Amino acid sequence: MQLPPGFKRLLKLAVRPRAVEQDVDDELRFHLEMRAEKLQREGLPPAEAHATAQREFGNLEHVRAECVRLGHERESEMKRSLFLDALVQDVRYALRTLRKAPAFSLVAVLTLALGIGATTALFSVVRGVLLKPLPFPTSERLVRLWQASPALDSPRTVLSHPDLEDWKARQKSFTDLGAWWHVQNMSGVDLSGLGDPELLQATYVTDGFFSTLGMAPQLGRPFLPEENLPGQDAVVVLSHGLWTRKFGADPTMIGRSLTLDGVPHTVVGIMPPSFTFPSEQMDVWVPLSNIPESGIPRTRFNRFLNVVGRLKPDVTLETARAELGGISRQLAEAYPDSNAQYPGITAIPLHEAITGDVRTGLLVVLGAVGLLLLIACANVANLQLARATLRERELAVRAALGAGPGRLVRQLLTESVVLAGLGGALGIALAVWGTEVLVGLSVHQLPRLRDVRVDGEVLAFAAGATLLTGLLFGLLPALRASSTRLEPVLKAGARGTVGSGGARLRGMLVVAEVAIAVVLATGAGLATRSLARMLAEDPGFRSEGAAVVSFSVPDSRRGQGRAYLAEVLERVRALPGIESAAMVKYLPLESTGEDMAFNRPGHPEDTSNPPHASVMHVSTGYFSTMGIPLLGGRAHEATDTQQTPIVAVVNQTFARRYFPGEDAVGRSVKVDTTDIGIIGVVGDVRQAGLAEPAPPLVYFHVQQFSRSATNLVLRGQGALLPMAIAARQAIWAIEPNQTISRITTLDEVVSEAVTRPRLLSVMLGLFAVLGLVLAAVGIYGVLAYTVSQRQRELGVRLALGAKPADVLRLVLKSGMGLAGTGIALGAAGALVLARVMGSILYGIAPHDPLTFGGVMALLLGVALLACLIPARRAMRVDPAVTLRGD
Amino acid sequence: MSDTSLELVQGTLDVLILKSLSWGARHGYAVAESINERSGQVLKVEEGALYPALHRLEKRGLLEAEWGLSENNRRAKFYKLTSAGRAHLRAQSQTWTRYAAAVSRVLEAA
Repeated sequence: MQLPPGFKRLLKLAVRPRAVEQDVDDELRFHLEMRAEKLQREGLPPAEAHATAQREFGNLEHVRAECVRLGHERESEMKRSLFLDALVQDVRYALRTLRKAPAFSLVAVLTLALGIGATTALFSVVRGVLLKPLPFPTSERLVRLWQASPALDSPRTVLSHPDLEDWKARQKSFTDLGAWWHVQNMSGVDLSGLGDPELLQATYVTDGFFSTLGMAPQLGRPFLPEENLPGQDAVVVLSHGLWTRKFGADPTMIGRSLTLDGVPHTVVGIMPPSFTFPSEQMDVWVPLSNIPESGIPRTRFNRFLNVVGRLKPDVTLETARAELGGISRQLAEAYPDSNAQYPGITAIPLHEAITGDVRTGLLVVLGAVGLLLLIACANVANLQLARATLRERELAVRAALGAGPGRLVRQLLTESVVLAGLGGALGIALAVWGTEVLVGLSVHQLPRLRDVRVDGEVLAFAAGATLLTGLLFGLLPALRASSTRLEPVLKAGARGTVGSGGARLRGMLVVAEVAIAVVLATGAGLATRSLARMLAEDPGFRSEGAAVVSFSVPDSRRGQGRAYLAEVLERVRALPGIESAAMVKYLPLESTGEDMAFNRPGHPEDTSNPPHASVMHVSTGYFSTMGIPLLGGRAHEATDTQQTPIVAVVNQTFARRYFPGEDAVGRSVKVDTTDIGIIGVVGDVRQAGLAEPAPPLVYFHVQQFSRSATNLVLRGQGALLPMAIAARQAIWAIEPNQTISRITTLDEVVSEAVTRPRLLSVMLGLFAVLGLVLAAVGIYGVLAYTVSQRQRELGVRLALGAKPADVLRLVLKSGMGLAGTGIALGAAGALVLARVMGSILYGIAPHDPLTFGGVMALLLGVALLACLIPARRAMRVDPAVTLRGD
Repeated sequence: MSDTSLELVQGTLDVLILKSLSWGARHGYAVAESINERSGQVLKVEEGALYPALHRLEKRGLLEAEWGLSENNRRAKFYKLTSAGRAHLRAQSQTWTRYAAAVSRVLEAA
């Protein structure tokens, strides 16, 4: 029989292929026999003929192995191409089917795109911020180090210079320790001589900073050890950003001189673009020795250095902790005055130190978005199930024509994956856009945003999520549809109203959707309530209508800072429209400032834990300008100068804690050997953030204790920005080279302080709303379908005398039953989420009854709405019409 | 192997196999015989190289194989050209003829 070749190939595979080895052996044997026969015909005896044939053939084993290998390869290629053919067929069929149901396809694709897109965008952020290693060689060995003071409840205190030197000399766990000093808006340097003076973001570093991090300049060299000794020629390393922005990536920069803070500095190195440590916008690194003793005294009392260490390869973090702890205790004993309160240390991996703050929040949001994707899956699965019922006849016919259950499942799964693929493609586009939006929203709020990008790994995640999604929402409907029995469907004829087994499955999916929506809504509710609580806190000052101009006394006026600041204040106050102006080193909500220990004459003090307070340096008029109430005594006056006794204003917390039951005004405290008289008490102000209660605070007059960094706060008539500009002009009239680090408003400062909780609340809120909509669509879909399926039954009931209200109740009951189950399950899940979120909530219990109650009521309401539409349709069923249909 | 018979390089063997099959389906033994005969015993097909070459051509889709009965009624594997094989043969023989002509021109000129 002559069969067409393609057909034969199929048959051959279908009838279980003969082993390749067998075929090769047969073929080779045939050849040898033919050859031997020929030799025999030429007169050789049979035995010799066989031997000759074999000899002439060459290496038989070798040939056999080669042929078998080729045969196997050919066979697997063939299987693959058969599989691909079938796949192409399935995909084509799937696309055709989807085109035939455009409404279904559109809804499903959009739902999936939303879910996959949001999940992918969030994943790209989480990956960049939390999962990627830091951009330093063997970064997992880098450890951030602090001194710890249990007594002051301060586990992360920066180090003094002498303490750092002692740590370096005594420790054996680290290959090196590096330290730096950088404070946003404070540690800048003025670049002059190249057009307008510009404030550069600077970090002052010790010897060992670059080597500990394992980074070297891409051009030039790092600092030499001797360059970190006082009295050397000034040198500077530039960031890649500054080098390209300001100097057009000029390769001859090395060796050139830049005037920083009025002093010529030689450029010795340019860092690679990936290096922006310790902050995203970094312009220059300068040796710490550039700051003179008079600027930052190198005493053990003066703690200002951030420290990072690189663990030796064979040393564990635990060992290092134990060793540094021992050194810290030795120092506490040797220098009790300065170190008695700091006997401990804190050492955590650098990666954790950088990302720890945002970890929980990010993971909660990622979890939320994952749940949203689950709802999307459940919804599409629901749509699939509904369609499967409509397609029962199609499937039954295909089964009758010989398609096995496996083939049907494969076809249906292909359909789901194609659907998911379309959703995924759209979702990736959404994710690219969404990632940009997320990064834009989280500037200054998330570390390492430079590492966030949609790259191959993120795309692989999206592809994986897509495939998984397709299988997830496709498997249940496919298995169910393929197990449908044939005869009843075919017998039922054209009406196609058989099979209600899917109803229970769809009900379960709706329950799951509602449950997840409850979890999402609870998360969003908790975050929003927490934010509201935070915003409702009284910060202790009036933020409306105040402008802020921040700057530092330039080095050229070092030593005359007091007079300079006084002159600025006087000129600004004289400007038209200015009602009041004052200065403070640290604005509220931004920092608690410097820490100070003191004694109270007449009080026996616990020497291991003496009283301490945060110090603020303010000008006259600070309290009135800020709207901080004076509760007793007086504020600083212009007459409090270097020539008069040092006086302090304290806050309410200070007065209550250290002078309970007495009037603090008129008392005095002793700092070292200096007596300081308390002249007034003011209301508490939140310095560390809206969520942090006010610490005990001492306000010094800047004319008695001078500081160079300052924020000028202005109130007056008219708009804030022109007022701030006018103030800047007044400053420039005095000092044309003055750089301004920022111009802002107090309202903006408050807003910045809650950006992170607001971000959390906005994101969770967005996902919760989407989740609610999807869940509502799910409930509606199931009920609408049930009503249409039960039209005849409802018609009969109405014909037999049931009132429309009874029908309404019947439908509502089935819908609300599902919703109720979902809400109960969801509330249980939400309790788990609430516990995870506990650490990032403010002012409310994780199981906040108001949030939980509100969410349940909301879900019930949404469910009721979703039920009502199909229920009303059921009421309007016309018995005459439905019955006539029979 | 006599002095006058030449060893065959891989590509050449492929072309010769395709050519020998262009007259109809044959089993491996017949392919070897026909090449030997038609070259006037000048080209000696190494049997050890023939079978891997046949299988490789089959894998590349230039040949198709099928089991059948041989002239002496034995089970044998018959190879025949596919349309891709026929096209390949056409292209290769042109290249080969041009190559051979060029080589002999060079040699004769000397």
